[in-house]
Amino acid sequence: MPRVTIARNILAANEEIAADVRRRLAAAGVRCINLMSGPGAGKTTLLERSVARLRGQLAVGVIEGDIETSLDAERIEAAGAQVVQINTRGACHLEAHMVRDALETLNLQRLDLLFIENIGNLVCPAAWDLGEDLRAVVVSTTEGDEKPAKYPQIFAAAQVLVLNKMDLLPYVDYDPERVCTQALAVNPGLQIFALSCRSGEGLDAWCDWLLAFTSKRSVTTARETPYIMGGAGS
Amino acid sequence: MHELSLAQSIIEAVEARAEECGVERVRAVHLRVGEASGVLVDALQFAFEMLASLSPTLTGARLTIEITPHRAWCEPCARTFTVMDFVARCPTCGTWSTRILSGTELQILDMEVGADGEQGSQE
Repeated sequence: MPRVTIARNILAANEEIAADVRRRLAAAGVRCINLMSGPGAGKTTLLERSVARLRGQLAVGVIEGDIETSLDAERIEAAGAQVVQINTRGACHLEAHMVRDALETLNLQRLDLLFIENIGNLVCPAAWDLGEDLRAVVVSTTEGDEKPAKYPQIFAAAQVLVLNKMDLLPYVDYDPERVCTQALAVNPGLQIFALSCRSGEGLDAWCDWLLAFTSKRSVTTARETPYIMGGAGS
Repeated sequence: MHELSLAQSIIEAVEARAEECGVERVRAVHLRVGEASGVLVDALQFAFEMLASLSPTLTGARLTIEITPHRAWCEPCARTFTVMDFVARCPTCGTWSTRILSGTELQILDMEVGADGEQGSQE
């Protein structure tokens, strides 16, 4: 039986679109962060607080991914950001074509920083490049402290880890040291922030870092992490 | 994780290549998938069979999957080692200065093709 070579990454179509998104954002001078977490870790609240604190210093846009509803987009918009809602109607992660379409409704010339809030899921979002400059994972003290060991891929694919809901530490059995040790074992280069969106503790350091990240034009990009799926050997 | 989406991408890539080469029937598709890629092989097989049955070019096509181990290279020791649980630390010298060699692949290698009426090869 004759064989015909294909030699193509399964995710190649997504990666081509992600590269296009990355070019368009770079041309407009917009820095982009893909924010990932399990459901309920506090991604939307972190964005609300960040947008409110950075108002007047950074023009922030948010692409809000949810399976259903525009509840999160309404919260972010109220905090003062340009927002586009994507409803995936059941899909468990965002793909690059959804982000490319969402860019059409944003005024990129008026943005400094764009967040993509991924679907609440610690598994699937790790494999899809969305054209971001950097990936951040949020975990919270109410989730249990074994997440990096149980879901290593997403921690390996990120550059930043945020530990949220630190104000609840006295009331929960959660060892932040353990989480950091596990996360650094799969990704020694992770930058870690511990904060509470509720009390505001740690938000200054996070927002200072966002300002520095946005003003930099060349830091480690998402493409340089070792665990972009389909990367090795291709 | 998202095997239906992956199967859809595979079918689209194979159909595009088949059209490019004037291939009428695809009998088999060969993949290389890393053990750390997060892909559930059974779920991918199932999704592929379902979607292939809807494609005139791919109806009845087999999917074969070569699994690659999660391996890394330690620069100081100049040797390779198996990565356990995503921790790419050299088990001999303890360094983190290592480079992933394999285990995250998601590649479509090639396809077996034949005209209508021909039998697909059996393994």
